[in-house]
Amino acid sequence: MITQTAPATPPTAVVPPKPAITRRRRKPSLYRTLSRVLIMLIVIVQVYPLAWLFLTSLRTEHDFATGDPFALPSSLTWENYARAFETGDLGRNILNSFIVTMGANVLIVLFGMMAAYAIQVLGFRLSKFVRGLFLIGIIVPVQIALVPLFIDYSTVNLLDTYQSMIIPLAGFALPMSIYLFSSFFEYIPRETYEAASLDGAGPYRIFGLITLPLSLNTVVTVVLVNSIFIWNDFIFANTFVLSEDLKTIPLGLQNYIGAMGKVDWTATFAAVCVTITPLLLVFLVLNKAMIQGLESGATKG
Amino acid sequence: MLPNRSRTSVLVFLLPPLLLYCAAVLFPILQSLFLSFFSWNGISDMEFVGLDNYVRMLTADDIFWRSFFNALLYLAICLVLQLGGALAVASLLTSLRRGRELIKTLYLLPAVISTVAIAFLFVRIYSIDPVGLLNQLLHWIGLGSFERAWLSDVNTVLAAVSAPEGWRFTGLYMLIIYAALIAVPKELEEAAVLDGASKWTLFTKIRFPYIRPVWITTTIMATTYGLRGFDIPYLMTNGGPGQSSELLTTYMYKTAFTSTDFGYASTISVFIVIECLVAVGLILFMLKRKADS
Repeated sequence: MITQTAPATPPTAVVPPKPAITRRRRKPSLYRTLSRVLIMLIVIVQVYPLAWLFLTSLRTEHDFATGDPFALPSSLTWENYARAFETGDLGRNILNSFIVTMGANVLIVLFGMMAAYAIQVLGFRLSKFVRGLFLIGIIVPVQIALVPLFIDYSTVNLLDTYQSMIIPLAGFALPMSIYLFSSFFEYIPRETYEAASLDGAGPYRIFGLITLPLSLNTVVTVVLVNSIFIWNDFIFANTFVLSEDLKTIPLGLQNYIGAMGKVDWTATFAAVCVTITPLLLVFLVLNKAMIQGLESGATKG
Repeated sequence: MLPNRSRTSVLVFLLPPLLLYCAAVLFPILQSLFLSFFSWNGISDMEFVGLDNYVRMLTADDIFWRSFFNALLYLAICLVLQLGGALAVASLLTSLRRGRELIKTLYLLPAVISTVAIAFLFVRIYSIDPVGLLNQLLHWIGLGSFERAWLSDVNTVLAAVSAPEGWRFTGLYMLIIYAALIAVPKELEEAAVLDGASKWTLFTKIRFPYIRPVWITTTIMATTYGLRGFDIPYLMTNGGPGQSSELLTTYMYKTAFTSTDFGYASTISVFIVIECLVAVGLILFMLKRKADS
């Protein structure tokens, strides 16, 4: 029936383009709404657990143990934070993390810059080989160093020190840092160096007066990217550090697991909130620079 | 080469970084290789055993193989979540007009949180008593029969410890892929659209080939990171229950620092390094060859 009538009526020949146009117009907007909804959902999955972490740190213990986990806390309390500070030495942990992060960053930036300068600017016969050596450190997993370093540290009495964490953290981050500095040094025109050389500047002065000041942006990138990983390092700290006084944040948080694996969850979550705050603040304030750094770190690699 | 440079100046700049790198990375690698031929518990004398450790690992150690296959599954789950999720979100993000920066920031947030904090968080998400987020969610959408203690169930524990790792870094890879996607020349895309290309052909024929080099880099990054995954399984389950979430890395760690079998632990870590090198080689081989054809 329909197939008969449709071709019989001439006006329909004019009509079809219309739905086609609206469909074409509606299709992208449908696509766009769909993608918006999807993005919203994914962002919720990424962010909600963190928001929940914060909310839980403000719940009373009773509320946590019995309530619906998605519900808003029935009453807010700061008691968990008080207990968190009583149980652990959070200030000490944060200070230790800060020392280790600073120490490793200084080495990574300074040594990365120096090696890149030697390889890229000064140049020498085996520079390709040395560059290749450093590349190994990007691929090789850090776990390979644990047993040897543990043995070496115990022979030279470095176990349970800041250095025991700083050395491997810096060593394994060095290749990427060298890589970033090298690719930046490529952009400094040769003429700049030649002119300085003609004026009588040696390699040290050129490094201090030209290369170093020009690469400040790359320094920021390298520091930001590495800080995330160093601040949160667990494996080196867990292997090489035993004494309470030297524990960094990730180790300090483990102290909240009590005897028999019993955990005071609300206090633990409060401690987690306290310890993630410093890095989170840095991240939120500097997120443009950090995002740019992470992007460039990989797209160049 | 700089005209006025001297041999000493090269050494002054190169030696300190090279020394640090040798002490922390190169020398330990060689030392592991060396130790892998010995039997040693750290106290008594070292005993040369030749290839015994390797033979034991490959032929007689069931836990090793169990951990190896667990690690592969762990890697697969991480790759799907990280690369698949990253590619999907990055593509969606390019169609958005506003709020891109905000979403990038929010999406990256988990990468800033330490693994210990994430382990704590996910222990609670998976928990059944008091009911955690995941089980409550399942209950609400009518899948109550799936509610379980995810970390004590041998069938789900491996997936349960892999997911947080995937969740944590998907934002990082999304950023990288997104940066590559917006660098695709607009003229190319517009020309394809004028020729009547669908969204899908646009993606497979124009966008993806264009970002292939970055895709190779991200795949290598995600794979090597996945193979060295340690923190979250170690902290959440310590490989248990039984060996159901044991990875090569956690097994190596326990062999070294719980059983203090340094020689055998070194053998396992040599294997992990070889595994990483093989994986990188395979990725380069497969993705490069596809690019050539």
